Amino acid sequence: MPVLEAKNIVKEFGGLKALDRVSISVEKGDFFGFFGPNGAGKTTLIRILTGQLEPTSGSVSVLGIDAVKEPLRVKELIGIVPEVESPPSYLTGYEYLYFVGKVRRLANLEDRIDKWLSFFDLETKKGTICKDMSKGMRQKLMLASAFIHEPDVLFLDEPFINLDPIYQRTLREYLEEYIAKGGTVFMASHILEISEKLCNKLAIVNLGRVVAQGKIDELVGEGDNLERLFLRSVGVLLPRGE
Amino acid sequence: MRTKDLLMLMLKEEFRTHASYSGKHRFLSFPVFVFILSLGSGLTINKMLETITLEQFAVFAHLSAFMYGLSVGAFGLMGREYLERRYGRSNYLVAMPYLLPISFRTTFLGIYLRDAVFYMLLMLIPATLGLVGAAPFMHFSMVSIGLFFVAVLLAFLLGMSLSFLASVLYIRNLRAFVAFTAVIAALFLSQGVLNVPGLNALVPSLGFQMNVQPLGADPMTAVLYAAASLVAAAGMAALSYALVQVRINIVSQSYGDMLPAYHSRVHWLTGLNRALISKELVDLRRSGIIAKMFFAFVLPLLFLSITVWFVNYGLAIPVGFNSVFYAAMVGFIGVMMYNWLNNIDLAEYYSLLPVTVPQLIRVRILVFLLLTLGISTFFVVAISLLNGETELLWLALVVMFVTSLYMVIMTAYLTGLKTSSFLFDTSVLAKFSIMSFLPDVCLTILSFSLFADWTFAVVGIALVLGSLAVTTRILYRGIETKWLRTSF
Repeated sequence: MPVLEAKNIVKEFGGLKALDRVSISVEKGDFFGFFGPNGAGKTTLIRILTGQLEPTSGSVSVLGIDAVKEPLRVKELIGIVPEVESPPSYLTGYEYLYFVGKVRRLANLEDRIDKWLSFFDLETKKGTICKDMSKGMRQKLMLASAFIHEPDVLFLDEPFINLDPIYQRTLREYLEEYIAKGGTVFMASHILEISEKLCNKLAIVNLGRVVAQGKIDELVGEGDNLERLFLRSVGVLLPRGE
Repeated sequence: MRTKDLLMLMLKEEFRTHASYSGKHRFLSFPVFVFILSLGSGLTINKMLETITLEQFAVFAHLSAFMYGLSVGAFGLMGREYLERRYGRSNYLVAMPYLLPISFRTTFLGIYLRDAVFYMLLMLIPATLGLVGAAPFMHFSMVSIGLFFVAVLLAFLLGMSLSFLASVLYIRNLRAFVAFTAVIAALFLSQGVLNVPGLNALVPSLGFQMNVQPLGADPMTAVLYAAASLVAAAGMAALSYALVQVRINIVSQSYGDMLPAYHSRVHWLTGLNRALISKELVDLRRSGIIAKMFFAFVLPLLFLSITVWFVNYGLAIPVGFNSVFYAAMVGFIGVMMYNWLNNIDLAEYYSLLPVTVPQLIRVRILVFLLLTLGISTFFVVAISLLNGETELLWLALVVMFVTSLYMVIMTAYLTGLKTSSFLFDTSVLAKFSIMSFLPDVCLTILSFSLFADWTFAVVGIALVLGSLAVTTRILYRGIETKWLRTSF
């Protein structure tokens, strides 16, 4: 059974169709990349898959749970990193992780908090409240809050954004290890170079419709790369020879 | 960029912000609602004039416009929050000086002009048009309506300028802000208690109104009052413009980890509610919103207390302003505190966690009760002792508790976590008005008749409170169904 299955998802905002009959299937252990131009519907789909937004029509199942009918149960089992890093303004990094741990009723909370504060080097800014943090620090905190309960599935919307090259690498290594241990990742990103190294499956969306989907090895042929596949799929004409 | 172009953009932004919550059509129906209300008032003015005089009506209209201006300007207090939220989902033109070669003074002037134009179009013009609509039937003079509009507009601008100046002082220097608001509050209290200075001196637009038709005919005095109003409003606006900080420094402070201590302190709660409430308490402490809430809650209570005491003992008017009437008013005043709780911070991160909107609403109701019940009880006990009505204290406390609970749950049911925005939705506002006005009127009338017919009044109050308790329970349960599928 797929870990994540979306069938014929349609989402309309007013008269505008943001997603048009999108179907996606992700197996356990997959690192699934979801790509598309700005405004193509990537964030909208992630919000629907994670129970944050209801689709106009279609069905979503995450770990066998209906995400439309039981969004709370889905959120208990997954980790989400949103596109915009927005931790609560008046909590310190430690307090935010403490809060998330209490909401999720986690055992050994102090150990978990120490581990993730140390992992993202947030200990040095222990007394800083989130609204006074840099964007990079806030992004690290959002990542820590999504990883702290060791979820089975991670939904990441532009996880590498705002991270310096050191932490882009650290995060990439962590995600590779997470997949190796049996985790599943669904990631939207514009950073195709990193994504190509990480993903084994992908879907490309344009104007709300999936225009390419499958295993990355099959879609990106010999001598080809993800960037060219992406540009071809969304209808950008490549210069001769590229 | 020219101020005119910036103003047009800011007006569009303000309209779209409001429309994004309740929809364009519903928001646009708000001025229509005001027009209909004003038309109805105009058509039934003769009935109203049987109980109050035209002068009293003018005073009421002016003080309302002045308070409206004060509340519009008070949004300026949110300025710092808008600036600091620039990296969130919503970004506002006021934060543009961070990125573009525009000064904060220019955006500040833009906000002042935007609020003056936007809220005039939203309320004052539709209300005036309502009176114009009633004119052919009630034989109102168009000149009188025009003069009334000018006078009320001056009162509105005066309130708004005062509030903007207070906002600027709040951002620049907290002590200066406290001193300034204390002086203003003292002037109004002195006016209420000693009648010094005169109301015309505090709100000169009222002096203008009293000297033009249909209330007076002294054009020279009227012009002087109008000029005084304009000078005061423009002077305060200019002073705000001069004092506004060119660059707002967002000071980074170091904080100790407070959340675990708060979590231990609320040990009487369990699970999710315990985590949510301790976080809300930390937010309250660190955001500094407690000071704003104090002014929004305690000052009106003080004003009401002094009015009740003064009417009973200063003027010795036997209108029945007793502790039970006071307790009902306390319950109705407190509700805006719930709105403040919803304005502390953005709540979008909750959508990443296994938390629902109804769960957070219920926690905020609990925080509201924790914050207000102690203060409300203190005021009700104090006024009961001052009035020598300790025999009414038990009833007053029950009335205060039931009305407070009813008002906050009714508001939470109708507006969820976006109170200030939904109250601009006509259908929500109409429901809110009816659901707060009806019990308020019933309790006022019944409390006035307590000493005349004790049994009748107590039975009546018991019936009203019983109905409110049942409604409160139904609405509390309804919060789950109504807000479950809503996004944060």
